[in-house]
Amino acid sequence: MSLSKTLTLRMANLLILLLVVLFMVSYALSGPASKILMQEVQQEARAIVINMMRSGHVNATQVQVIYNNIVNQLSKAYGLDQPPLIRTFYIMYNMLIFNWGYSYFPQEYGIAGGKVVDIIMSAFPGTILLDTFGILLSAFIGIEIGLKSALRYGSQFDRTIMYYAALSNGIPQWWLGIVMLLVFSFYLSVIRSPIQFPTGGILSPNYYAMWLVNPIKVFTIPQAIVDLLWHLTLPLITVLVINIGGWAYFARTVVLNISQEDFVTFAKIKGLPENQVVNRYILRPAAPTILTSIFITLPFIIFGGFLVTEMVFRWWGLGYVYNIAIVQSPTPDMPVVVALTYASTLLYIIIVFLMEILYIILDPRLRER
Amino acid sequence: MARRREFRILGMTPGEIVKGFFSSDVGKVATAFFLVMVVISIYALVTLPPNFGKVWNNPDYWRLNPPYALPSWVNAFIGNVYAPQVIINNHNYVFSSSYSGDTEYITVYFTVDYHYKKPWNEIYVILNNPVVYTSQPPIMEITITRPDNSKITIGPLPLRSKVVSIGTTTQAVSQLSQFYQEYYQAGNLITGTSSVTPYIFYNVTNGKAMPLIGTYKFQITIYVFSSNTSSAVTSNELEFVFQGNAYGLMGTDFEGRDLWLGLLAGFPIDLAVGLLSAIIVVVISVFVGIISAFFGGVTDEFLTRITDFVILLPAFPLLIVFSVLFGWSIWDAVIFLALVSWGASARIIRVMVMQIRTAQYIESAIIAGASRWWILRNHVLPQVIPYTLYLLVTNVPAAILTLSAINFLGLAGSELPTWGNILYYAEEFGALTSGYWWWVIPPGLLIAFVAVVFIITAIALEPVINPRLRYG
Repeated sequence: MSLSKTLTLRMANLLILLLVVLFMVSYALSGPASKILMQEVQQEARAIVINMMRSGHVNATQVQVIYNNIVNQLSKAYGLDQPPLIRTFYIMYNMLIFNWGYSYFPQEYGIAGGKVVDIIMSAFPGTILLDTFGILLSAFIGIEIGLKSALRYGSQFDRTIMYYAALSNGIPQWWLGIVMLLVFSFYLSVIRSPIQFPTGGILSPNYYAMWLVNPIKVFTIPQAIVDLLWHLTLPLITVLVINIGGWAYFARTVVLNISQEDFVTFAKIKGLPENQVVNRYILRPAAPTILTSIFITLPFIIFGGFLVTEMVFRWWGLGYVYNIAIVQSPTPDMPVVVALTYASTLLYIIIVFLMEILYIILDPRLRER
Repeated sequence: MARRREFRILGMTPGEIVKGFFSSDVGKVATAFFLVMVVISIYALVTLPPNFGKVWNNPDYWRLNPPYALPSWVNAFIGNVYAPQVIINNHNYVFSSSYSGDTEYITVYFTVDYHYKKPWNEIYVILNNPVVYTSQPPIMEITITRPDNSKITIGPLPLRSKVVSIGTTTQAVSQLSQFYQEYYQAGNLITGTSSVTPYIFYNVTNGKAMPLIGTYKFQITIYVFSSNTSSAVTSNELEFVFQGNAYGLMGTDFEGRDLWLGLLAGFPIDLAVGLLSAIIVVVISVFVGIISAFFGGVTDEFLTRITDFVILLPAFPLLIVFSVLFGWSIWDAVIFLALVSWGASARIIRVMVMQIRTAQYIESAIIAGASRWWILRNHVLPQVIPYTLYLLVTNVPAAILTLSAINFLGLAGSELPTWGNILYYAEEFGALTSGYWWWVIPPGLLIAFVAVVFIITAIALEPVINPRLRYG
């Protein structure tokens, strides 16, 4: 199979995944959520009718007719008169063309206009920043540690790493974030330490508005970059502490399995230098396997950990927008929640696809036709 | 002559497996922790009422407790700063009652030791008798003899409801400010905007209220009018609650809920969440894995596609969106989570069965005329089933962590006191900006504890499961 064909096939697979997720969410939305929308329509119509009755120019039957008219027209406008399946595809279509509607509570987000697309697009850079930094750094450090640990199998260092990996896999990342904030932000300010970490947020207030509108402009101001990195410190440390263990564990297991293979023993017997054995005969064949296991855990890494960590640190990304839409809004902000699910699935698929390309680069069996 | 059949799993007898598991320190530690967890869960199920979820969400039940109170044991480290919650009932007081005509005279006498820097916020009188609702409610008078032998009298106070708080009554405000005026010429200290109860335990030095340490004697008289033997107030109907600034083992949250009970109730819920999800995952993945590998061909192709798809499905956002849309309970969320997270396990089982299927003894069995079902039962299942135990153990932590995260968002299970839910309220009510560490640290530690117990159990099982590591 040629390289381009492999990639096209994987891309098609991922697109189908995106469509299925979208369908599931849209179908759910056209069911129970349509009842909520209908109630809103009726409420609106009732308000108009009551105003008319106060002015006293209409009688009861006329009022009923006007009320029915308003409800009919509004529900037609919202597509509520259509059967659920058609409405589902209507919602899907709107999601696909990025027509995500308006937030119920725009003032909560601080984005002018309250268009859901604007809100989510402004949140993407933050998520990408934290995810990229977090995944790449933790993978780099973790694999390095796992390799060292596997090469010293059974040593004190190896055992320590194993215990650390077990522990870090069990600690909820967001809770560690809370503890970090409590210790390095709250208690440092209580004891009036000269170094105090920010209580959250992606930037100081004076740059915050700029970030929401145009994140690229922030990177042209040196002070703003320093400020951004300063705010990134605690979330990044949290992410690293939790994720390095898992990567180290994977890398260790894979390397251990491979280092027992005959060709590794043979390379050692040949008298090749240690680092050549490691780099050529162990790491290279281990890389695709490590990557595959990462595919499996990637949803858990990003969605289980990173999104909720963003919420804790009020880091302006998809996770924090989730938090505003669900927890901070008076009632769940449905358009935002649904669009977020779609957007985060999209982001996830892009990351998976990038990893697939990396996989192909690393695995000669797939690269060479 | 009967051939002695030896029972072996993965080439090991049960005895060897147990030995292999316990040979490492990890195995012993895992077993000990596991037992601790199970014992606490059973204890929680036995001691907490079955409707504890309702009790937990009923603010009335907790209103006598102080909100945001520290754990009592903190006093041992920082030197008796916060007065802990004290309940005085018929075990601690001397109760006597006598009749004069149809009026019952009750006298109650007790002492309270006060040696803290922050006194009690409020004193509640609880009279659990219908006479409090009559047109002529009981009248109470309190005389407090303080350590410096000064006397404060509060009353007469009518007891119009089951629970009466003393410090906010006009009598208490005026009588205490009068007392402060006479004794210390500092009547202006008492403003009456909040409870004046703390001033019972103060004296004045240099114009400032300072705690007066020592034993306080409480003499309380209650007159119950038009009383007869059927409506008489007895000693087990009367109780006094001194609302403190510290409470119990784990402190309280924003509604004064006892966090110790909440954390305790979380144990069985968390275990059930993890195990239920893991069991569903294992059942589905064994089913799919075996069918896929054993039948091959189109079935395999189809099931593998589905498995790959499920692996990639982003469970967390879907869980959020459906919990919001359908208002799911925690059990709905658990089942959904299991239905979207069996992919990885099914893949492992499939590979395992594939390896078994291509083994030579299977070929011999087929040549000998064994049916598929026979091979499945005699060769495949005995090798797969023990592995499912390992899969079960490895699937529990992920379910617990994901569900805790969902609960932390206030979704799926606000009706139960889960640890994630406790953390949700902690975050909502400013535990981070006010430093309520006792509200934040224990629930997270417990989530981590349960998850880590399962993880180290899996690590201890690994040498048993993976023969390569066994002799390595």
